[in-house]
Amino acid sequence: MAGPGSSPCASCKLLRRRCAKDCIFAPYFPPDDPHKFAIVHKVFGASNVSKMLQELPVHQRADAVNSLVFEANARVRDPVYGCVGAISYLQNQVSQLQMQLAVAQAEILCIQMQNEPTLQSHHHVLELDQDHKALLLQNNNNNINNCSNNNNNNNNNLGYAMSSGQFNSNFASPSSIMQMQMQMQMQDPLKQESLWT
Amino acid sequence: MNPKRCAACKYLRRRCPKDCIFAPYFPPNDPAKFACIHRIYGAGNVSKMLQQLPDQTRAEAVESLCFEAKCRVDDPVYGCVGIIHLLQTQIQNAQNELAKTQAEVAVAQTKLSQTQNSDF
Repeated sequence: MAGPGSSPCASCKLLRRRCAKDCIFAPYFPPDDPHKFAIVHKVFGASNVSKMLQELPVHQRADAVNSLVFEANARVRDPVYGCVGAISYLQNQVSQLQMQLAVAQAEILCIQMQNEPTLQSHHHVLELDQDHKALLLQNNNNNINNCSNNNNNNNNNLGYAMSSGQFNSNFASPSSIMQMQMQMQMQDPLKQESLWT
Repeated sequence: MNPKRCAACKYLRRRCPKDCIFAPYFPPNDPAKFACIHRIYGAGNVSKMLQQLPDQTRAEAVESLCFEAKCRVDDPVYGCVGIIHLLQTQIQNAQNELAKTQAEVAVAQTKLSQTQNSDF
């Protein structure tokens, strides 16, 4: 039970029960932020959150709670897509940046080829320039393996701010996102560092 | 009573009514899908969420819930927020690489135009 003079944690307040000394929620849901637990409870349910926390070592529970709060907020803001909308948007950004990078790299190659003294006459080099550029762009686009195949849906103006957790959603097919997830995990192992600093 | 119970009602060991809210999205041939979503969200919460949505958006809501539930099972600490973080890191890296490459393009173009001017 909470000590004399100390108020119950936000979860025990919401659940209207005694806040035990070893309450699993108390370290992460202080009484001055009732909204935090309310939203997690609404989406996941107190018993599910309790089970999830119990299965984790103590030093990982704070991060787990923060990620659950983030996901719950995302789901409340966007009841259809939740966090998946943000993932789709970011995936599209990655694809666009990779394409821009490929174009820039192709430009460098073109310029380097123009600088090569072994090329033919200056006039002929200029004529080749556009063809080479188009060919290199085509080859580079074909070689971009990380691009999603579902960029069709991402034509809306999506505003996304990680810090405030505000975003609109746009949803590529879940199977493509799950494929992307597997690709990313193979190519770039997930760094288990704190996200909240 | 629905002679063939949906995966949700099978899992919950109950009758599957004709208007079962889960039946369209949890066919009996894929029990793992409901099991995963039940583990993270609970049947009651999923049912409430679906009831608050118009019919035409429920299928996508179920898919996104399944995806997030699977991410949470795979990564109990960060769930799909880990993927978001990974993507943000990729975006940052790609932006840095793009800025560097565009700077190289600018330098190369300057060199080329200097070469072309000296040719003339």
